[in-house]
Amino acid sequence: MDYKAPLETYSGKVAEVVIGKGEKALKIGGENVLPLHFFEGKVENRQLLALEVFDSEPKTWTEWERRPYEGVLSDPVAWAKKCIELGADLVCLRLVSTDPTGDNAPADKAAALVKQVVSAIDRPLIVYASGDEAKDIEVLTKVAEVCSGDNLLIGPLVKENYEPIAKAALDNGHCVIAQSPLDINLEKELNVKLLKTFPRERIVIDPLSSALGYGMEYSFTIMERTKHIGVMFGDNTMQMPIIADLGSESGKTKQARENEKQGLLWESVTAMSLLLAGANILVLRQPESLKLMKEVIEGHI
Amino acid sequence: MILIGESIHIISKNVNDAVKERNQKVILDLAKAQTAAGADYIDLNLGPAKKDPEEVTQWLVNTIQQVTELPISVDTLNPVAMEAGLKACKKRPLLNSASGRTDSKEHMLPLAKKYNTNVVISVLTDKGCPPDVDSRIESIMETVALANDMGIANEDIWVDPIILPVSADQKQVREAVEFVGMLADLLPGVKSTVGLSNVSNGTPEELRGILNRTYMVMLGRNGLYSAIADVLDTELVRLNKGELPKIVDLIYRTMDGEVLDMGSLSKEEQNYVKTVKVLMGETLYSHAWLES
Repeated sequence: MDYKAPLETYSGKVAEVVIGKGEKALKIGGENVLPLHFFEGKVENRQLLALEVFDSEPKTWTEWERRPYEGVLSDPVAWAKKCIELGADLVCLRLVSTDPTGDNAPADKAAALVKQVVSAIDRPLIVYASGDEAKDIEVLTKVAEVCSGDNLLIGPLVKENYEPIAKAALDNGHCVIAQSPLDINLEKELNVKLLKTFPRERIVIDPLSSALGYGMEYSFTIMERTKHIGVMFGDNTMQMPIIADLGSESGKTKQARENEKQGLLWESVTAMSLLLAGANILVLRQPESLKLMKEVIEGHI
Repeated sequence: MILIGESIHIISKNVNDAVKERNQKVILDLAKAQTAAGADYIDLNLGPAKKDPEEVTQWLVNTIQQVTELPISVDTLNPVAMEAGLKACKKRPLLNSASGRTDSKEHMLPLAKKYNTNVVISVLTDKGCPPDVDSRIESIMETVALANDMGIANEDIWVDPIILPVSADQKQVREAVEFVGMLADLLPGVKSTVGLSNVSNGTPEELRGILNRTYMVMLGRNGLYSAIADVLDTELVRLNKGELPKIVDLIYRTMDGEVLDMGSLSKEEQNYVKTVKVLMGETLYSHAWLES
């Protein structure tokens, strides 16, 4: 008797999102199967790996976190180029200096830097503002205007500030990151509201990524459920790709800061887990964990 | 369905203040309003009733009885307050509630027998709320058997499956409907009740009504005997009286999986269909469930 593999077909499909412009552009999403179920359907695009760049020199990094970026840590443009050399598919620029409780750098200055970085690299750019609900409106709308047409992926957009940022992103041709606090119901609520004025094909979900040992199972469950609901149950308000912004989270943990090998493993295990849960973009800090993830991803496709 | 008016609740600030000041007016108004709205019982929810339990409970029961002939559902976790309340009731009261918890078996069930009351028995156990249908059944079979041994007849027992908020656990919300449907076979003769508004706890205030109403109809279809509910919601009372048959029919058809042409429905009808789907666990809940 012939063996027939018990394959499933699903009713839903993750939206395909294009980030960047022209030949630089990259695609994520588009799959009609659960994460890494290559045997069941079509995985249109492989997951993307980003390395992070800070707009001001990070003060709290360990010696081994700094080592691969020696000489560029105070120069975001050079740092971004270095990330590409180190194998990143794209760069994630963090505008930490705009935080009103820190340096409170003006939106103009931040936007000018984003323009410099995106012009200097031949890859798409992710931009995370500081996470201050009010200031992020100012910063991200400015970034959207100054980089009009560059098709950045900008965020975070949260329940309290999504409207003006989404409008600026739409007017200037960018994609957005919809962020919710580790809660599937709040994630859906934000998506529903955003979708009233914003196209599904320009949204990436950030359900928040916690590091191994610090609540990673919550992030895992929510990413997994997002894919179940979008792909298996066909809920089109949950069919956007997911970004796992985990490098910084892992880097904060006591275990990652204790020694180099443990730090590398901490980030890699967190990344691998969230990849299995359904992340379409992984934001990493360490080039070595990027290499490991690349082997995993390319080994499969 | 028998409706037990929920408005006299110690968590409500008005009620709490009125009790502290022994201000009868607030209590009288709520009792009158709920009686006029069509309640069958008045629930008197005292919570743990830590301070002067006997005196407070008797004062409340007597106050309510000044303006209504309706029987009272004495709703407290404190057996001392419970006994005082039951004693003061003129009409046969509802003891609300006993459960599978050890303290409840020891202190509440004997009171139901002693005062010959109707008694709510919930599926709660010492471990909390049972996580699925099977463990709900296990819990209730055991507690009802114990009640029967004490001489309480099934006809006097109102089983409460414990309703959780849809914003917290959609699976349990759906399973409670199933559970209610199984009761007649499991425990012939028992009645049932739910804390209906719990389903919408955590949902924005202005959206709670449609969840409560839709869930009432869904549970009613499966044989729910009574509900502790917001009887001041006139649409809820009208639905219960059978005055809105079109909405009830729409809810039933959606429960049965019929694919409806949403375009042909009014906004209100669409909202009921969307709400059934959320309560059945077919679509993921969010506070914006009516908007997509």
